[in-house]
Amino acid sequence: MSAFLVGVGVVVSLELRQRVRTVAWYVLIGVFVALVAIVTVLLKIALGGFGADNSGGAIFSAIIYFVLLLGTLVAPALSGNAINGDRDAGTLATTQVTLVTTWQLILGKFLAAWVTALAFLAAAIPFLIYAALDGGISGTAILVSVLVLAIELGVVAAIGVGLSGILSRPLFSVAVTYLVVAALSLGTLIAFALGGLSVQSDVRATTSYATSYSSTGQPEQCGPPQTTSYPVPRFDYFWGVLVANPYVLLADAVPTAYDAEGYPTDLFGNIKLGVRQAQLPPDLTTNYDECAGDSFQSDFETPREIIDRTTPGWFVGVVIHLVLAVGALVWAWSRTRTPAAQLARGSRVA
Amino acid sequence: MTTSESAAAGIVVEGVSRAFGEVKAVRAATFTAAAGTVTGLIGPNGSGKTTLMLMLASLLKPDAGHITIAGFDPTVDTAAVRSCLGWMPDVLGSWSALTVRSTLEYTGRLYRQDRQSAARRASELIDLVGLEALADSPTRVLSRGQKQKLSLARALVHDPAVLLLDEPASGLDPAARVELRTLVRRVAGEGKTVLISSHVLAELDEMADSAVYLANGVTASKESVARAQAGVRAWRIKSSDDAGLVRALNGAGFGVDALTHERGEVMIPLGSETEASTLLATLVAGGVPISTFAPAVGDLEQTFLGLNAEDQP
Repeated sequence: MSAFLVGVGVVVSLELRQRVRTVAWYVLIGVFVALVAIVTVLLKIALGGFGADNSGGAIFSAIIYFVLLLGTLVAPALSGNAINGDRDAGTLATTQVTLVTTWQLILGKFLAAWVTALAFLAAAIPFLIYAALDGGISGTAILVSVLVLAIELGVVAAIGVGLSGILSRPLFSVAVTYLVVAALSLGTLIAFALGGLSVQSDVRATTSYATSYSSTGQPEQCGPPQTTSYPVPRFDYFWGVLVANPYVLLADAVPTAYDAEGYPTDLFGNIKLGVRQAQLPPDLTTNYDECAGDSFQSDFETPREIIDRTTPGWFVGVVIHLVLAVGALVWAWSRTRTPAAQLARGSRVA
Repeated sequence: MTTSESAAAGIVVEGVSRAFGEVKAVRAATFTAAAGTVTGLIGPNGSGKTTLMLMLASLLKPDAGHITIAGFDPTVDTAAVRSCLGWMPDVLGSWSALTVRSTLEYTGRLYRQDRQSAARRASELIDLVGLEALADSPTRVLSRGQKQKLSLARALVHDPAVLLLDEPASGLDPAARVELRTLVRRVAGEGKTVLISSHVLAELDEMADSAVYLANGVTASKESVARAQAGVRAWRIKSSDDAGLVRALNGAGFGVDALTHERGEVMIPLGSETEASTLLATLVAGGVPISTFAPAVGDLEQTFLGLNAEDQP
């Protein structure tokens, strides 16, 4: 086993030296740090303007999302040509004739791509520490959000490396990796919105208004009930789509901190609330009888109550992502192992 | 065949074929390369040389047939084959951001050498192939010939018992070719098996002990090789007295039509070595001053051309 890991380690080190450690890479990290710094300062000023006393949670969640955004944008470029790029450069076959096994090669390339994406997280650490010290975010929230972020970056890295082993042309596999990231990040949102809007239900609203009032303003006599109906979108059928969205998944996973009125204090909590509210089916029959003393205000629930009584879906999302990642790597392995029995049309081993 | 026998043979290929979809790259390859010898693999472009090399290098699985490298089957004992096999591909790839030295060190590490031995071996190989001046330059600055040397060094990292060289001489200058020849002969002298594919037949003539001819994915049989070698072959004769030479040749029964003149030499087709000896004796006895009397093409090229001629009716 340790010989296996030594081999993986050699591949990781080789990948980092050959693929990543370039001047352009350091420039990219520098630009990223500058962006995070600007975001942190602006958020601090903006939230200070609202008089928020514990803006740390908001800043922390914003930085985590920023790292997720940049990480998922950069990781495909770094991992999406890991295998077929080497084949094009003529360095894959000479590596494969050595004693390194196909799994060592693929895992090494995956780990190198992951480590590279995690470098963005590492570069953001000073700002995360600043935000954490600013207050408003719990230790568990910090731990869970960083962990889920790391997993998500790993998933993108694995999909990129996997596709680079499955597809023969580097440009194509990088593009497909981006499409997968886009499908998860934006596609799930679009599917959710379009699905919810296209499936509609009619709400039957029965209302009965007062026709005369007493001297104290109390309704005395009400008219006959009138029934109207109007369509509402059914997002509650489609909330499941969102569990595969990395941003939603991250927000859903993090334990939420609430203020005294039961409102979430950070970005994660607010996104989580929005997603959880989508789970609630609309009330399809409403009755309002002014004489019975009904009020328009339905039973009010605090965000905290809504979140507590709805279903967390993030672990399903994590499982889906892990299946995608592992599946991509296994497929890449079966396409890359040697001696090769079958080759893709138009490709060659070396 | 017992293990020790096939180990002595180095490379044994029996009835190997490999197709890519409809294209049958290698149809029937059978040959043996003995340990301690240099074997040339000769064939026209597209004859399946590289496909055959890839199968020997444990990268491609044959559709049919059997291969042993130093006694091991590449499809079964892949790791055992790889630990005793060095492969220099025809494609020149290198890790462009790494230096020559670290390329060799990493290759050694991929062969499960520890850091110290990999570093030591890298230095030895840099000296061996003559890349000292470029040892600490990134490989992207290397010229084609220098990359060729690096590729050779990489194939030798783990001191393999069987060495496969795919077009090793292309891009090398004459001095480097001589060095390559010396190196290859020395490796074979150490009891290792060397298989070289090359288009430069004259050069293989000087290096190879035996040759395998591959045409349309089929290795030529011993009989057809013998037939091709036995065919009529051009000889070149040079004399300071050109007119006297032509007169003497006419006298020996060669009409003017049979002779061609090329760069001050007379070319003449002869059926066998015996015929050549007889003619030379006749010319010398006739007092014609002869300075050159030699086959116009090398043995390998003669066989190669003869087989190609046989192939195209």
